[in-house]
Amino acid sequence: MSMTIPWIVMVLYFILVMGFGSMFGRYTKSTADFFFGGRRFAWWLIAMSILATGVGSHSFVKYSAKAFQHGFSSTMTYMNDWFFMPFFMFGWLPLIYYSRVSSVPEYFQRRFNYKARFLATVALFFYMIGYISIGFLTIGKALQPMLPDLLSIFGLQISLIGDTGLMNIIIFVAVITGIYITYGGQTAVIFTDLLQGFILIFAGLLVLFLGFSYLGGFANFWHHLPEHFKLPLAHFNQPGGFNFVGIFWQDGIAGSIGFLFMNQGLIMRFLATRSVEDGKKAAAFNVLVILPISAIVVSGAGWIGHAIYQGQGILPGIPAGIIPPTLDVDEIFTITARIVATPIVFGFIMAAVTAALMSTVDTLINATAAIFINDIWLPAERVLIRRSKGSRLQKDDRYYLKVARWASIVITTVGVLGVLAFKNFATLYEAHGFFHSTLTPPLIVAIFLGIFWRRFTDQAVIWTFLGGATLMIVGATWPEIFITPFAQGSAMSGGKYIYISAMYNIVVCVGVGVIVSLFTKPKTDEELEGLTIWTVERARWRFKGGKPNDRPGEKVKLKYKIDDSGEFARFAKEDMEKMALDEGDLVYLCDSRAWLGGLKSVHSKAGKPHNEPGVVYITPEMEESALFTKKTRVVAEKEL
Amino acid sequence: MFDTAMTELTFGRVWAPLIYLYGVGGIFFLVGMVISTRSKSLNTKTRNGKKWFKLLLFGYGWYLFIHTSLTLAALYLK
Repeated sequence: MSMTIPWIVMVLYFILVMGFGSMFGRYTKSTADFFFGGRRFAWWLIAMSILATGVGSHSFVKYSAKAFQHGFSSTMTYMNDWFFMPFFMFGWLPLIYYSRVSSVPEYFQRRFNYKARFLATVALFFYMIGYISIGFLTIGKALQPMLPDLLSIFGLQISLIGDTGLMNIIIFVAVITGIYITYGGQTAVIFTDLLQGFILIFAGLLVLFLGFSYLGGFANFWHHLPEHFKLPLAHFNQPGGFNFVGIFWQDGIAGSIGFLFMNQGLIMRFLATRSVEDGKKAAAFNVLVILPISAIVVSGAGWIGHAIYQGQGILPGIPAGIIPPTLDVDEIFTITARIVATPIVFGFIMAAVTAALMSTVDTLINATAAIFINDIWLPAERVLIRRSKGSRLQKDDRYYLKVARWASIVITTVGVLGVLAFKNFATLYEAHGFFHSTLTPPLIVAIFLGIFWRRFTDQAVIWTFLGGATLMIVGATWPEIFITPFAQGSAMSGGKYIYISAMYNIVVCVGVGVIVSLFTKPKTDEELEGLTIWTVERARWRFKGGKPNDRPGEKVKLKYKIDDSGEFARFAKEDMEKMALDEGDLVYLCDSRAWLGGLKSVHSKAGKPHNEPGVVYITPEMEESALFTKKTRVVAEKEL
Repeated sequence: MFDTAMTELTFGRVWAPLIYLYGVGGIFFLVGMVISTRSKSLNTKTRNGKKWFKLLLFGYGWYLFIHTSLTLAALYLK
């Protein structure tokens, strides 16, 4: 197949997506908008935008490779997140939302102290940069089989083969990636992801159905797969490179907690929802509906590839050797898509997949920039301001927005350089698995114990990081002695336990944290108010600035008028009764067009009532922030 | 290149991972439910709380159903 048509389709697709993303750059007016999209979006919009982040990060390339090698058990990673949903929906989500925490390290400062914040920042930075690098590597590996060996631009010869070629492709992609994240911010990412979420599902299912058609129907597909290949869970502990028990601990436990609790990109998505209730709905919908679909979508090309491999030379129309036994399994997605699709469709599929990967990377870059601003730049600046004794002043928000954009560019560059650390693993899956099981345990244990165990002390969190990391290094150095007792029969791969080491790492980190806590003095309940699940109600009180109003009320549709004199939204008494709203309650106003998903909306407190039913008075600032126009009809509802 | 380990469909090969997943995973899930309800973050006395409580249990059953159905399909759908 000539690659000209696919590349034309891909370039058009990228222009469309970048144009779509940059359209939303105008909604970014502050750092809050840049990082959190103004905490305004409806659950369905966030759920769909999470799809592109989740699917992108867990990538078509990586899972198709495992699907090709091991069958339906490639879906395991997507199907084991529900166990932690009670912890997330009723612990972490309300805590970070109500305590207005901007990042994981900020939570550590409030829950423990600045030393814990520093260690959490370091750990999280490594985690996020590593994630970005793996994202770039995946994009490079997906595109490389489609490219010629040499590219000539204005007489300049650029190599696109081998390691040098891979890095050249990644640098090119990084430049494109940086454009709309730098100028668009979180709102651009959310809307671009929303568009891509739908397209990704379509593209993944398209490969699957085109594959069924290529094989001569579903029956041929099913019959050319061995029985053990169709089982949804892998063999309990064999082989070392892919087994159930190792992946359960590496992904089901460490990965699920890591993804839900410390992935700053995901946290920022949930903080962009208009309320905690909408955040919970987005999380539930994502795990119950979107993840099972995603599991099929990302693996389909690998399953089809396996059936073609088994049926080549046997089934009519499938020539022998169409999938060679010597292939690099990380290329199976591209190879299968190229076999089953026409050039235009192939171009579209590859564009959708690479753009989704770019979405993941964008989200992570945006999130890492948030950590940089909130946990490095601002604390450092506060110290300098304190030391200057008044000669240095806090800058305005526009200044921080500029810093955030520069930070995004620097992080993108570091992410590209980080690719060098991962490109030598046998497959992307192994690289990601090893990365997760090695880097996440100290941080997830510290977050988890911090949220759910009041007794967990400041000293214990420091020891969890330092002592836990030391014991992890000891385990990695002598795995036969330390990790084998936890291995449950699973074998090593390449001289190390790739997945099950996560269990050992979690156990030693929990052990250190618990033992040190039992010998040190815990904080009082007053000091922990609003910082653990046991005091989440206090966080709600603080968020509102008073007693939450939980009386059930209705939504009301209103016209709005401008009130220059007030500072809050003011409703008619009649409308307030319908909404079960009292003066001082938090209220959410949004454009009545539900399909906008809250893009045009604003939060406020309810001010003194008036006597004009069907009308809400808002300030000019609210009108500007919500992007309302004179024709806008507003739907108002009580938040707390 | 392919998974050649223990292709024989013994009870241990087919059902042990499923039991481990919903047994050990179920312990984590149960602890999460207990902590959420005891802390009153999930207040089962309110209508909204009851709705979420039921949804959480449904989610556990939903995934158990998916995995069991796929396992049975692998064994018996010819």
